Amino acid sequence: MFPMRLFLLFFLVGIFLLLLQSTLFHLLPIGPVVPDLILVLCVYLGLYHPSVGAALGSFLLGYSIDIVSSPILGLNAFAMSLVFLSVYLSSRAIWIQNPIVTSLVVLLAALVKGAALVLVWAIFLSVEGFWIGAARYIIMEALVAAVLAPMVFALLRRGQDYVERLRAPAQ
Amino acid sequence: MFAFLHRNQVPLSSFCCLLLSLYILAAAARGQIRDEPLSAFLMWVMRPLQIASQGTANWLKGFQENYDTLAGFKSENEKLRKRIQALEIERQKLLEAAATNRQLKELLDFRGSLSGTPVIASIIANSASNWFQSCVLDKGSSDGIRKGMGVVTPLGVVGQVVSVTARTAKVLLLTDPNSGIDVLVQRTRSRGIVSGSLETGTILKYVKRSEDIQEGDRLITSGTDGVFPKGMIVGTVIKVRKQHLGLFQFVEVLPAVQSARVEEVLVVAGDSDGTKN
Repeated sequence: MFPMRLFLLFFLVGIFLLLLQSTLFHLLPIGPVVPDLILVLCVYLGLYHPSVGAALGSFLLGYSIDIVSSPILGLNAFAMSLVFLSVYLSSRAIWIQNPIVTSLVVLLAALVKGAALVLVWAIFLSVEGFWIGAARYIIMEALVAAVLAPMVFALLRRGQDYVERLRAPAQ
Repeated sequence: MFAFLHRNQVPLSSFCCLLLSLYILAAAARGQIRDEPLSAFLMWVMRPLQIASQGTANWLKGFQENYDTLAGFKSENEKLRKRIQALEIERQKLLEAAATNRQLKELLDFRGSLSGTPVIASIIANSASNWFQSCVLDKGSSDGIRKGMGVVTPLGVVGQVVSVTARTAKVLLLTDPNSGIDVLVQRTRSRGIVSGSLETGTILKYVKRSEDIQEGDRLITSGTDGVFPKGMIVGTVIKVRKQHLGLFQFVEVLPAVQSARVEEVLVVAGDSDGTKN
């Protein structure tokens, strides 16, 4: 089960990341790609908080991106839910302790998300020739997310430790 | 049975989320989702945050440009340099105010030349996803903005409103692969559809091989889609390529408006019913 304080922490982090992705990150000089830190958050939830609340949280994070950016609701909600499920299932087989493996898992999760978006896009939006340029975006997005993942994981872990320390005296 | 559900509650709940997403997608694709309460709530929460954050981003952008202009000077006299920097920041604020005034005046002049009652709005956020070219405006249905209205500046077409809440509106930019704007080549009156593309930027689609299109040709709105008034500049042809096979030629377009540099826009209804998609 997801403790209330942790839920609040991840909710606020999600809103903050959504805000960054839609405004300040557009100033970063890394071409047309905006770092997808919400994806990294979903991977973190899948690895370290495998619970019903986290699954719902991943869905809501994707849905929030849809609300702010997507021309059609449900696209990112689907992709983030799939990312969570993939990471949850694969987390039983891998043990993540160092930044390189973290980056690798986020890289693979970003590729899963990209593939899911292309697939769903093709089915529901049927934009002619859309997939031709998609590969470039998928790879760039995955690389940027993988590079930033260890730092985001470290920050999330610190935040989580802080919240748990706050909780400990109360218990 | 209960033990199985309990043991697999995480993958099952995740799977339910996937199914729910697909259901929402299917409903949205058929246009069955309207006035969705969560969207209105999230946009209500995000609006002031986005305004503040975008303000910071604009300030940082101005500061960065300002700093670049200073970088050319040698830093031998640190005190003098700091003084110049402080003055530059002050000057930047004044220039920013003057530029905003100029932009608003241009928008007001331009507004007067349009039929109907266009709405002036500010861009408060850009797309949070790499897959969509969109932005969020600080005005919504309570200001008279409706889904399907066109978004323009005095320089040309920006995009089209795809969803609205009471105080915000989401705009699909001209450069998004999902967009499609009916245009005329100003010189020859040939017709086509301008759309975004992840691969090559903005393109003009469905132009027959036999049509006379040249680099430098200007593209204007046809006015027949009911979204934009006729004659607004959409972009300029920068590359024309005829394949050996195929009905159509490949035409690359430079949009008239670089959306990343736009801060204020006008939301307009087309010549006919503006809600038409």
